[in-house]
Amino acid sequence: MSAISRSREKWVLLLPAILVLSFITVLPFFQTLWTSFTDAEITAREQQVNWIGLENYIWALTDPDFLDALGRTLYFTVVSVGLEGVLGIAVALLLNQQFRGRMFLRIIIILPWAVPTIVNAVAWRLIYHPDYGALNSLLLQLGLIDSYTSWLGDPDRALNMVILADVWKNFPLVAYIALAAMQTIPGDLLKAAAIEGAGAWKRFRSITLPWIIGPMLVVLILRTIEAFRVFDIIYVMTRGGPSDGTKTASFYVYQEYFSYLRSGSGASYAVLVAGISAVLILAYYAGVRRDQRGA
Amino acid sequence: MMHNMTTHLQSKGSTAVPSTPILSVKNLNKSYGDLKILKDISVSIKEGDFLVLVGPSGCGKSTLLGCIGGLTEVTSGHLRIGGADVTHTDPAKRDIAMVFQSYALFPNMSVAENIGFGLEVRKVPKAQRDEKIKQVAELLKIEPLLDRAPAQLSGGQRQRVAMGRALVRDPKLFLFDEPLSNLDAKLRVTMRTEIKRLHQRLNASIIYVTHDQIEAMTLATKIVVMKDGVIQQVGTPREIYDTPANIFVADFMGSPAMNILDAKVTMDGSVARIEIAREDGQPPLVLHDPAPSAGIVKRQGAALKIGLRPEALTDLGSRAVHADQHFDCLLDVVEPAGSDTFAVIRLGGAEVTARLHGDADVRSGETVPICFDVTKISYFDPQSGERL
Repeated sequence: MSAISRSREKWVLLLPAILVLSFITVLPFFQTLWTSFTDAEITAREQQVNWIGLENYIWALTDPDFLDALGRTLYFTVVSVGLEGVLGIAVALLLNQQFRGRMFLRIIIILPWAVPTIVNAVAWRLIYHPDYGALNSLLLQLGLIDSYTSWLGDPDRALNMVILADVWKNFPLVAYIALAAMQTIPGDLLKAAAIEGAGAWKRFRSITLPWIIGPMLVVLILRTIEAFRVFDIIYVMTRGGPSDGTKTASFYVYQEYFSYLRSGSGASYAVLVAGISAVLILAYYAGVRRDQRGA
Repeated sequence: MMHNMTTHLQSKGSTAVPSTPILSVKNLNKSYGDLKILKDISVSIKEGDFLVLVGPSGCGKSTLLGCIGGLTEVTSGHLRIGGADVTHTDPAKRDIAMVFQSYALFPNMSVAENIGFGLEVRKVPKAQRDEKIKQVAELLKIEPLLDRAPAQLSGGQRQRVAMGRALVRDPKLFLFDEPLSNLDAKLRVTMRTEIKRLHQRLNASIIYVTHDQIEAMTLATKIVVMKDGVIQQVGTPREIYDTPANIFVADFMGSPAMNILDAKVTMDGSVARIEIAREDGQPPLVLHDPAPSAGIVKRQGAALKIGLRPEALTDLGSRAVHADQHFDCLLDVVEPAGSDTFAVIRLGGAEVTARLHGDADVRSGETVPICFDVTKISYFDPQSGERL
């Protein structure tokens, strides 16, 4: 088969996927991009849509509420991914030890991740419930609090409580990937380090962490991209409240678009969030390349 | 520089009390559940000894090394290094270094960082560290490689780096776990010589695990032969080779293996008369051992096993001295190997290998006179296999 016909065959095989992707991703993206430069609104009546240039973007970037939402998103991302990383690696180190019931623990640890986000969010909303939540009951019985508290009712605290629920759901994935990477460390390396005098912490820093850093980088950047677009858990648990205390960028876009029905301005917010996500995705590919070079 | 290092290492040794063994293992046992891996192991070595643990795979030699290194918890027994009880001491605090079969170089560190790792852990100042790394690199001729990553090195180079990492800390005891097994045949021989040279130069105390009896013979000052978790024999290479403690050791050490054949031994005064049956109705072959071991006298008349090294069966050539004990033998198979020619003869119910001269002009199927050297004959109990 000649090189030309082989390259044509390649395109023929790819065509169905390209078509589907065009309709569900590429087309809507350009439509959103176009909308973001207009004053379009979602309305029942006949509407004149005007091209207004960068006006939406200028508005978005000077909108203190949107910037607050971006800041909150950043906080959510950094704290939840950070905790998932630390907790994931710590749990992986534990699961990598020899002990009775290790297999059982390895299996049940994945459960939070296997539960759909919506279910996880509903479960945590119940756990946090001010009147009959398990958290209140637990802390009261342990004597850590004096009376039942409305965990999601305090705007300063609600975001941290949502982060906790998000970390609970997502750390098993990080732990599993860390564990898989740790299991490929040749035993002799750790033995050699022990004989050379390295204690547990030094062995972790010098052998284990450098060995798993590539896969960790990949999973944590993927988690970062996901966390930055966080929407569902917030929609179920708090709807962005109280007092916008948990209103993240994606939720802001959703409100602007579907609550206030300002599709032009909502589109511009969406494009900005997508842009930031794109930067994170580029960072992900840089991380993957680094990992491959290191291997 | 090299000289400095040598004297430095030796001076450290001389501070130890000379009578204290550098390593002593007493009644050591290791079990995993009901499975006993090591059974009542006791062995000790002096400063500067090169102890080789040898045996077939699964004999427990690597487990024993792991116990000495502190990588494997012992079930019972005692371990002392340099006089101190280290039975339950952390490997880091045993003052030992180990070279692994897989080299176990840290992939994320350069060669220099690998060699200096133990010093860095012990917080040796950088200048001093670099100086020591340089000395060791010179000693092992790997200075040009110091900035490379382990992945960029050949097997032989990695082996040197692994040894460098062990040498740089100047430990009381070096542990080598089959360090040459991953190298190709030619490099293995080169590195073997190099390890021997290093040992002679540094007067280091070494415990070396191998399944290769030639490595054991060439390197050791003392050999421990193991089988099924039990020590079969401890001795110098010469002792192990000449006076194997049992048929297992006789068979395992030496290549080709010692010939073990059935014989009937009777005493004729102080001379042992050894009668070996031959095939095809030929009259038995009779040897005379003028100085048999004391144990034989009691067993006279009994059927025994005797062991003869291949070199004890040879063509007349220059061995005219023993020409009084030669017999015509049918050569079943002839295998020329250059420096020697090996011939297989059927004797005493076994296939017996004779080591003939390399230039011996013989062919399979020929009958030639073979000279038997009875001075190094070994006698074994046919039931227990123990030496008599």
